[in-house]
Amino acid sequence: MAEITFDGVTKIFGDDIRAVDELSLHVADGEFMVLVGPSGCGKTTALRMLAGLEDITSGSLSIGGAVVNNVLPKDRDVAMVFQNYALYPHMSVEKNIGFALKIRGDSKSEIKRKVGEAAAILHLTDYLERRPKALSGGQRQRVAMGRAIVRSPQAFLMDEPLSNLDAQLRVEMRLEIARIQRILGVATVYVTHDQVEAMTMGDRVAVLRAGKLQQVDTPQDLYDHPANEFVAGFMGSPPMNLVRCHVRPGDDRVEVDFGDQTIELPWHYTSSHELPASGLDVVVGVRPEDVIITDASSPNTIKTRVERREALGAEILVHLSHLDSSADALANEQGALRDISRRSSLVAKMGPRVQVAVGDVLSVQISPEHAHFFDATTGVTLRKRKP
Amino acid sequence: MSERSAHMSVMTSSAPRVRRMTLRRRRQVAGFLFALPAIALVVGFIGVPIGQAVYYSFTQWNGLTSTWIGPSTWAQAFHNSNLWTALENNALLLLAVPFALGLPLGIAVLLHQRVAGWRIFRSIYFLPTAISWVVLGLVAERFFAYQGTLNSIIHALGFSHVNTNMLGYESTALSALGITFVFTMIGTNTMLFLTGLATLDPSLEEAARIDGAGSWRIFRSITLPHLSRFIQLAFVMTVIALFSALFSLIFVMTGGGPGYATTTMEFLIYQTGFNQGDFGTAALYGLILFVLTGIVGVVQLRLIGSNE
Amino acid sequence: MTTLMTPPKESDSSNKSTRPSRASRSKVGRWVLFFAMMVIAVVMLYPFWVMIVTSLKSEAQFLAGQGFSWLSWKNLSATIPIGQEVLSSTIVCSASILIILVVGLPAGFAFSKLRFRTSTAVFLVIVSAMMVPLQAILMPEFVNVTKLGLTGGYFGAILVYAALGTPFSVFLFTTYFRGVPDELIEAGIVDGLSYFGALWRLVVPIAIPAIATVTVLQFIQIWDDLLVGLLFIQNTSERPITVGLAVLAAGRTTSIPELMAGSIISALPAMVVYLGFQRYLVKGLTMGIDR
Ligand SMILES: Nc1ncnc2c1ncn2[C@@H]1O[C@H](COP(=O)(O)OP(=O)(O)OP(=O)(O)O)[C@@H](O)[C@H]1O
Ligand SMILES: [Mg+2]
Repeated sequence: MAEITFDGVTKIFGDDIRAVDELSLHVADGEFMVLVGPSGCGKTTALRMLAGLEDITSGSLSIGGAVVNNVLPKDRDVAMVFQNYALYPHMSVEKNIGFALKIRGDSKSEIKRKVGEAAAILHLTDYLERRPKALSGGQRQRVAMGRAIVRSPQAFLMDEPLSNLDAQLRVEMRLEIARIQRILGVATVYVTHDQVEAMTMGDRVAVLRAGKLQQVDTPQDLYDHPANEFVAGFMGSPPMNLVRCHVRPGDDRVEVDFGDQTIELPWHYTSSHELPASGLDVVVGVRPEDVIITDASSPNTIKTRVERREALGAEILVHLSHLDSSADALANEQGALRDISRRSSLVAKMGPRVQVAVGDVLSVQISPEHAHFFDATTGVTLRKRKP
Repeated sequence: MSERSAHMSVMTSSAPRVRRMTLRRRRQVAGFLFALPAIALVVGFIGVPIGQAVYYSFTQWNGLTSTWIGPSTWAQAFHNSNLWTALENNALLLLAVPFALGLPLGIAVLLHQRVAGWRIFRSIYFLPTAISWVVLGLVAERFFAYQGTLNSIIHALGFSHVNTNMLGYESTALSALGITFVFTMIGTNTMLFLTGLATLDPSLEEAARIDGAGSWRIFRSITLPHLSRFIQLAFVMTVIALFSALFSLIFVMTGGGPGYATTTMEFLIYQTGFNQGDFGTAALYGLILFVLTGIVGVVQLRLIGSNE
Repeated sequence: MTTLMTPPKESDSSNKSTRPSRASRSKVGRWVLFFAMMVIAVVMLYPFWVMIVTSLKSEAQFLAGQGFSWLSWKNLSATIPIGQEVLSSTIVCSASILIILVVGLPAGFAFSKLRFRTSTAVFLVIVSAMMVPLQAILMPEFVNVTKLGLTGGYFGAILVYAALGTPFSVFLFTTYFRGVPDELIEAGIVDGLSYFGALWRLVVPIAIPAIATVTVLQFIQIWDDLLVGLLFIQNTSERPITVGLAVLAAGRTTSIPELMAGSIISALPAMVVYLGFQRYLVKGLTMGIDR
């Protein structure tokens, strides 16, 4: 049994730097948990507390059911992969990988066998004699992985292990790490600030912001049902469009004002969401892929103008502004400048063959089933909990 | 917090006491234990003797028994002309410092030109650094002796009626000691300056040359400022050596004489303690030397500190 | 640094000069330079020349100022117990350096990576002890060591050398370990090392260059030292070579050619170490200022 439980774990540096704030999180045995969040949000600190490299200010932390708050790292039986790999420079790859086993007192033949296995999984067999200095970045990364996996520990802890690799290698190693974790079935806490890694690797993803846990969910749930504006804006690339609007919930539909243009959304939002009384502000979120171009004759469209166009090959990102200046002015006034995530313009993701040019006037629709509503002041989702 | 730890102690009460220490605390305890032998050695063999020296400087002490005298020991010490002679000798030897820095600086600049065989020259110049000052003192004695090399050179230059015996006369012995000191410092200081020059970005020099600066100009405005930290360090090391490393030279070359002509503070301490058996006064002199080097030492600490 | 490794071609500066007159001047300059360097070399080699030439005379030949013989070398061991003295020097040197390393490495590790509450202040105190000359505390030190009964054999001198060398080694190791990433130690600790294990199996192997620096510097310092050996080793039969030579020289009754022969022997080990490890020596001297 090697589940991991954070129970109200708090870390305060100095007098008032709350690096991790009342973190409660459960990682099941064999689960791949990704900790994601912007720089400085406390991911590394959470991981270091788990490894025993940092004291816990308050709360309790258990591995495999036993509280480990004051247990030394060497007695926790967790393996950690560091961002800069921290390979032992004076040892060969083989010695690096086998070091923990040697400390543990495994027999020579046992070490050799396990190192051989790990090296085979990681395609390092040809490099066992080399020193870390003579390896490429990707190879070093794999040695760091190897050092963790030979131990068959209670848990793997990884702190941005791919951030020093080039983009292509990162994609490759992403799959590789996920594959190995699945083979070994060891509970893993993986820290990253890259939401693509989070989405593709995690069984579940925990989003942190300023030391506070925002949401824990499967990647798809996180994407489809972000718990608040921050998660909505953080997960997904390009991020969700978040627009501050008036809404008027009615019996058969929900009317949303984009400036002086109005669109209608299906009525079921009034039952699934706690929309405010008529005419009040909410933040409406729409993913770029849910902004759809139609022709002007269709009902329920917004007139927009193409401000910028980014061709990414497989898709085109089109930056749109709605066609009335009063809306822009209003949005600016109400804080578009203050909070960048609330933009007055929309970003739409389109297929590569769509013919648009800067200055074009487009009519766009919002995919009716995929609108998100957030409280305009707290940013919390207005969606009701599933019964 | 207290509620938590109470809870914790219940859970782990069977474990040994250390188990309940926080990780940070355990790291600190390990750190302290690791530093302890060094602390003990330094405190026991350097710290404590400083304190004892302060105490004994107020006593009459022969190494076995001491009698408290009080502050008058200090007043008395400063009335002793030997102390003033030694201090004066130290002060006069300070005149050697510019040479002990200037010559190595010149040599380092020469080496830095990298003419053919400069590596061999470098090794040759540094070689005397490895030799004990006892041996260098022996050689220097040969150099200055009546039948020594210095007189041979003078005769070879045509002054056959001139005969020197610098170590034999009060007026010249200190100069001979100073010259020897300069020689012994050449290797170390050259090494320092050469390292400094190696860290000088050659493109700076080229840029200045393109701007039309002459060699002297370049040396003044680029090389010297760049070397300033190294010169400061060399200065401090040289002065400290002057105050506390001449013992070997004096011991074999002059024994402090003739008279007290080459008795410096450090040699005076040795003589007062071990030849006259006046341990109390010797301890007092030690404190004076301690203050003198302390002043220089503070300068060096600030040098090191400013680079951390 | 690279400039030290790869000397520029000889014609470098003249090539870069645009005017031919400068080039020719610099050629003359180069010869002047070379001549100056030769002169300095002669001066710096003078001690070796004196030692060698003088040692190759008998006492009578030395006084007469001419002639050569191996007599002084043959008589050397009768005048100076050279074998015993070299052995003493070796013992004192190795033991002192061993203590300096054994004490300095964990302290450097502690001050750089395991910092405890007062560690910065303690570190500063230890480093300032570098500036205390032995002469300043000579009397109490001598009496203390004598009272402990350690001036008979080597122990007193070894401890005093160790104490005098420790501040420097602590300073050097601390500075060196500050350059080692924390993660490296942490990786070892997560891999199951205790702090002592991390010290012994990670820190020490990584510190080999720093260890070499401390060893070389201390070896030369202790091998060449007179004062401690003179006072803290009372048994004449356990005298280190430097002390033996100094005492004979100060006595002024010993044949100078034989003294010179002894000097050569005493100088050899330090010179060998020195030529072999010059690199580490330079590094140690400029530690903290050149990085
Ligand atoms: N040793 C420390 N002392 C004081 N503050 C610290 C310490 N370590 C981290 N912090 C602070 O705690 C907060 C969280 O840091 P942490 O390293 O956990 O962030 P992170 O999420 O890992 O960021 P990144 O993605 O940039 O690595 C930051 O504000 C940081 O400045
Ligand atoms: Mg981090």
